[in-house]
Order: sequence, then C-alpha cells, then structure tokens
Amino acid sequence: MATKFLFIYLPYISVGIFTLGVLYRFWRWARTPVPLRIVTTPAPRTSGGVIFRMAGDVLWFPSLFKGDKFLWLGGFFFHVFLWLVILRHLRFFLYPVPGWVVAMQTLGLYAGYLIPFPLAFLLARRLVMERNLYISILGDFFALFLIMAIAMSGILLEVFFRTYVVDVKALILGLVYFQPLVPEISWLFALHFLLVMVLMIYFPFGKLMHAGGLFFSPTRNQRANWEQRFVNPWDFPVSYNPQNLFPPEKYKPSPAGPGEGKKG
Amino acid sequence: MKVPVSTPALKIGSSRHQLCHLAKEKDMVKIDLPKERLPDWKEAMLKKMAEVLDKYRSVRLFLDICVKCGACADKCQFFLGTGDPKNMPVARADLLRKVYKRYFTLGGKIWGRANESEELNEEVLQEWFTYFYQCSECRRCSVFCPYGIDTAEITMAAREIMAAAGVATKYVTEVVAKVYDAGNNLGIWAPAWKDNCAFLEEDLKEIEGVEIKFPVDVVGADVLLVPPSADNFVNTNTMIGYAKMFHAAGISWTTSTYCNEGGNFGLFLNYANLKKINNRILEAAHQLRVKKIYWGE
Repeated sequence: MATKFLFIYLPYISVGIFTLGVLYRFWRWARTPVPLRIVTTPAPRTSGGVIFRMAGDVLWFPSLFKGDKFLWLGGFFFHVFLWLVILRHLRFFLYPVPGWVVAMQTLGLYAGYLIPFPLAFLLARRLVMERNLYISILGDFFALFLIMAIAMSGILLEVFFRTYVVDVKALILGLVYFQPLVPEISWLFALHFLLVMVLMIYFPFGKLMHAGGLFFSPTRNQRANWEQRFVNPWDFPVSYNPQNLFPPEKYKPSPAGPGEGKKG
Repeated sequence: MKVPVSTPALKIGSSRHQLCHLAKEKDMVKIDLPKERLPDWKEAMLKKMAEVLDKYRSVRLFLDICVKCGACADKCQFFLGTGDPKNMPVARADLLRKVYKRYFTLGGKIWGRANESEELNEEVLQEWFTYFYQCSECRRCSVFCPYGIDTAEITMAAREIMAAAGVATKYVTEVVAKVYDAGNNLGIWAPAWKDNCAFLEEDLKEIEGVEIKFPVDVVGADVLLVPPSADNFVNTNTMIGYAKMFHAAGISWTTSTYCNEGGNFGLFLNYANLKKINNRILEAAHQLRVKKIYWGE
C-alpha cells in the first residue's frame, strides 16, 4: 500500500500541486498592476535590451557578482550544477533518449558529484556569518537540507548502492504514459524519489518561487523609456480646485504679514 | 579613490531608540489623514495592506520571492552606520513580510511563528515606526539584489499603511501640510517669496550692474521654473544662477507663488499626497499659461 502510494499516487499529486501552485503564483503576480516606473538604473531603453538584461540576470547573476563575490560563486555554481543534474535526469523521461541528453551524461554526473560543495558553502555561510544567521529562517534551512538530502541520496545511488536503471526508467515512463506500475526498487531509491516529491510540493509555497518571480520583477523587466508616458491603471484624479490658486492679477501683498496672503 | 567600508558587527537594537516625533493633529487634518492613531488601527492597517498588495506588484512580489541571501545586508548605509540588524534591507522588509505571511499567505496561517509570521500588534507597530523611518528610500539594495528587490517599495508601502491608520511622523506631515498652505516645503509665504526675489534683483544690480529680473506669477511667460524652495531662501546663489541663465538666453520665465517647490515629501508619506503635490505644478502651469516647465530638485 505504502509503495503504491509513493510510486503511483504521490507523483501525480506532487506534480499537480507543483504545476497548479506555480501557475497560481504567476497568475497572482501577473494580475497585480504595476503603477509606477521603478526600473533600477542603469536600465535598457528597448525591449531587446530588457531581454538581454533578463537573460543576464537568469544566467550569471550580475547583481550578485557586483555585491558579493563569494556568495556569487556559491550561488552560481549551485544553480549551474542543479540544471545539469536536472537535464541529465531527462534520460528517464524521454524514449528514445535524444542525442544531446546522451552527450551530456558525463557532465551531468560530475555536476551531481560536485553539487554538495556549493550547497555546503551556502549552508556554512548562513551558520557562520552572524548577519546571515540573523536573517535566516526555518524555510531557508529546510530548502538547503532537502536539496542536500536529494543530492546525497542520488550520489549514493550512483556510486555505492546502484539501482538497476531499467527499472527506474520503466517506473518513470509508466508515470509519464499514465500506465503506472509499482517497481521492486531499493529503499534508498524510494527515499530519493520521496524527497523529490516533497521538494515539488514545497516549491510553490516558499521562497523557491524566486525562480519564476524574477521575470515579474518591475525593477528588472521595465524599460527606461522616460519620454513615454507611463499609465497607472488604478490612477485617480486629484481634486483640482481653481479657487485654491493664487489669482496673480489681483494679488496684493497683505500688510498684515505672512499668513494673511492666501485665503482659500 | 575607493574608501573601504568595514561591515559592522551586529549591535542588536542599537538604533531602536532613534525615533521620529509623532505627527501633529493640525497637520494630519490638512493632508486627509486621521488626526491621530485610530482606535481600530489594526483593522485599518490590515485593510490598507490588502489594498496595497493588490495595487503594487512590486510589494507582493518582493515579499514573496526574497531568498534571504544577504547580498543587500551590508549595502545599506543605515546598517553600516548603526550595526542594528533590523537596518539590513532584508530584515527591514521582514518587518512587513512577517505580518504579510500571518494574514495573507497559507503557510503563515498554518505554520504560524515557525514560518516567521507574526500578529500585527503594538510591538510590531513600534518596530515599523522605528525602522521604516530609518530608510532613506535610496534603493541601493535593489542594485545588488539578484531579483531587484527594492526595499524602498516596501518602506513606502509600510508608511502608506501606517499613515492610513493615523501613524506618521511630524517632520514629513508638517512639510506636506506646508505645501498646501504656502506652496513650498519651507513655508515661504507669497509676500516673502516676492520680497526675496526683489531683494535678489537689487543685489544683482549692485554686483553686476545689469537689470536681471526674477519674475513672479507672470501670466503668459514661456517657462515656469519650479525650483527647490530653499534656492529662494538659503541657496540664493543657485537662484541667481537661474536668473542669469534665463537672462543670457533671453527666455521669458516666471516662478509661481502657488507652486514653488520641486521637492515632494509625499514620497515619504503616501501616494495620494505625492500625486496631489505633483499636480500643483500642472495647476500652476495652467494658471500662468506657460509653454514649458523647468523643474528640479
């Protein structure tokens, strides 16, 4: 029963929560208006420039590089390794396996071996640096430990307790083609699988949503086209009372001194 | 030359006692805010917070996606100066974030304090009033944040929320109220403005031997100049500079006694006053039927 839940129901539940959750968060951000132009300078003036800037922000974190070189090293390599590992896992989802996935298997394998290092660094940074410990919350440690556990169980599966890869592929393809089956697979693989499900369920609720959130960030996705009028969708007119204006033709300095000059 | 700035060790609560004066009733009524803290301030603040979250994507997004990486922590001059951890941009935003989590997110409602969510109470309000007025909205943190999280947006949202419940500082509200009274932040009344201009004219004639005008409220001039009001009062050399420049260029210009302030303290209070003060420039331009506005601060 437990294995049936883990290998048949939980994957669909977690993929469902992940997809719906992420879409809900995107929808929530997208429908909230942007009332003012608040782009951080130096900013691009054209849409092409915005795409270029965004690509930079997504691919090599230039803001972080400007601010904190060590954090940049940890963050950058963690994300690169993570992507390589995820892409490597595509071999379980695709049949036949495309050539480029085959070609990057070794690269992805080494990325998998190395990913604990930036993770450990990011964790140590939070624990050792006083100010980072101060701002860290439970969710930060939870995400780090969860990904670390996934990486470690993955490495163990690769190096010490090798799982028969065809069984894994049968399981995953079964899920993909809605013909799920309960495999005879080790407890370590079950753990690895379970942790990934937990990560997917947690993803839309916490700070991991930074992944897609960046694209909605008004300080990064706006243009510096100052000469064009920026319209605030919920703008309201201010009460404009011509009576408030000083009538310059009739204006006479008041002998009574300041305070008497203007009467509404 | 690069001046090295060392990051201070944390001194918890070191700037907790640096408080602003509370706004006065006479100013609050002039700027459409409750004259004092409302009896149901908590409900008023939460209502305003819901409104702000639905009006500003920046606020909702920035509260949601911060990963607490700490890149901004040592970039804030208020933290570098005081060492108070709550002056780190991320911690400043956390003051609002924890209340947001408690009332507006599922995780905060379920997990409570374990998810760093917190009830809005007197203590939280005190912290808001302290630390959201120790931010100068310079946006330096936004330059270094990998997601462009702009703590100025958070600060402005928090001040707007507090203002809706009648909690604001004397300095800001007094200045905003002065603009509605006198047309500028310093409270220079129309006769004083004209007198200052006449004085500068005489001065300039003595020094330069040339008749250089400082026109005030001239209908039909080409340019409306909206200077910072201090230029007419303290930094008069700047005001003289404007006049000389216009004189040399042969441009007909004027200042307005209705709107002679380029600085806008509405930015430090709320959107409605920000807009109202900005609109005065347009009103003055219509009244004086000018072709262009030169505006600086």
